[in-house]
Amino acid sequence: MFFRVIPKSVIPDLVRGLAEQYEVVGPVAKGETFVYAPLADAADLRLDYDTTALPAKRWFFPESEALMRFRVSDNAVVSESLDTAPRVLFGLHPCDVNSLLLMDNVFLGETPDPYYKARRDNTLVVGVSCTPGEYCFCDAWGTDETHWGFDIFLSDIGDDYYASIRSVMGADLVDRYVPCRAITDEDTAAFQRRTAEFKAAFTNGVDTSQLPVLLDAKFDSEIWDKLGEKCLGCGACSMVCPTCYCFDVHDELDADQLGGTRVRTWDSCQFKQFAAVAHGQNFRDTRAARVKYRYYHKQWGYLSKFERVLCVGCGRCTRACKAEINPPRVVRALQTGVVD
Amino acid sequence: MAPRLVVLSLASDFGCQVQLTNMTAELLDVLGLVELSYWQLATSGHMPPDYDVAIVEGAVTTTEHVELLGRVRETAAVVIAIGACANTGGIPGIVGREDLEGRYGAVYGPGPAVATGRRAPLPLDAFIKVDYHVPGCPIDTGEFLRVLSRVLLGLSDRVPDMTMCASCKTNETVCFFDEGRLCLGLVTRAGCGARCTSLGRACTGCRGIAPDANLASAREIAVRAGVPAAAMDDALRIYNALTEVHA
Repeated sequence: MFFRVIPKSVIPDLVRGLAEQYEVVGPVAKGETFVYAPLADAADLRLDYDTTALPAKRWFFPESEALMRFRVSDNAVVSESLDTAPRVLFGLHPCDVNSLLLMDNVFLGETPDPYYKARRDNTLVVGVSCTPGEYCFCDAWGTDETHWGFDIFLSDIGDDYYASIRSVMGADLVDRYVPCRAITDEDTAAFQRRTAEFKAAFTNGVDTSQLPVLLDAKFDSEIWDKLGEKCLGCGACSMVCPTCYCFDVHDELDADQLGGTRVRTWDSCQFKQFAAVAHGQNFRDTRAARVKYRYYHKQWGYLSKFERVLCVGCGRCTRACKAEINPPRVVRALQTGVVD
Repeated sequence: MAPRLVVLSLASDFGCQVQLTNMTAELLDVLGLVELSYWQLATSGHMPPDYDVAIVEGAVTTTEHVELLGRVRETAAVVIAIGACANTGGIPGIVGREDLEGRYGAVYGPGPAVATGRRAPLPLDAFIKVDYHVPGCPIDTGEFLRVLSRVLLGLSDRVPDMTMCASCKTNETVCFFDEGRLCLGLVTRAGCGARCTSLGRACTGCRGIAPDANLASAREIAVRAGVPAAAMDDALRIYNALTEVHA
């Protein structure tokens, strides 16, 4: 990794330069919220955003995507769709950069998912530092920092960004499109001061002590029943989660029934149909069982396989869940034995 | 041989049949797959004695409807219920289960001669086994085509049973409750893509209450957002007056 200092004022130039070769996607205002969207104009980029409604995962794993077209008469695949459009995701916070690494473990593991891989291979990631918001708890999992998974990371040090360059492509883009200079010790000191301020600004203290032990020891705790009573089973948490990767695949036939499209859509373990199997059986047919499963998988199942929890503390589910079920609250319940 | 298809209506405003005529891009393809024997809105003949697939719109509100529906079930191999009226009782269901005569009287005057053999409205599956369900007011033509495809392929009914919120999140729509406004999406069956909310209108529950909906929690959520729980129950009466809603 090497570093450059980039004046904030040249960011629009960088975006305009990137737009010559790439579709540039970044946080833009949508009503009173922010969303990741293709930038029609560099001026639309809002690097002061707090969080986005949906995470960046949709640019690698969209909520609905056509995997292939097929012909019914002979079961032939007529065409496969791989999205290889060159793209830059500009302005991801550390939580969202980290979420991509967790998704990579799943989609780029032993059997890489070609649809995800095509997008990942053709997308550059530019991260940007942030300020902890009301619902943020990335500090609990150490996902408040990121040292890989991006091409360029811009850390705010006042009038400039302290830019970490992680890839050859990132270096090339910075050199080509914006004036920048090498860092000085003063710049690094400013970066350290900002980092200290950032770390001190978190307010959602989440006590993760011995969490895997508590999950197993309290498997039959009534906290799960209490949470199940509140849960709407709506799956909003999964949709907004940057690390939820479950999907469903189904075929949609054309009106003439001669051809069709195989479609992949986001799914959620909170949906009752999710665990429905043949003969009408459902091995997680209560909301309590489904909430428990979600937390077991994220905080223990994934951890035991990949040595990280499947949560980056972005707080989107806290915001989305009308029933007020969220990781800080569930972890508190595990620590204290009661749902507050 | 192409399946012989009939489309008929009980108590409704024919809106779902109008939706079928609105499938302009796909209608000819669909008609190439079936033998259209009767379509109450669009053909001029009479209902034939024999057919394979019956698409039924509307709620059951008279004894004549009950008899007709019984004959349809005996005749057709497949019965598809389309629209809110057929699936939940819908708008005709607003009259509710109590004091039917008083309510007819309030609209039509004392001892009205309308709706001979009238009875408290009910959805189709209160009387017969319904094989496929296309809910909504009116139906979504895309969903109808997907269901028809399942019928032609002999696949089972697969109406979504989750609630609306996941669709709203996917659309990046701000939750109405965040703005202190009532929305029935918390308890309403998904499958429409949360179209109304993405256009700035709260969900009115036209697709029916989802089978696993958590009404008790939804009422608490409404109250936390400053919406009285009674307002949610009132709003549910528009399309779900006949569904048991336990307070």
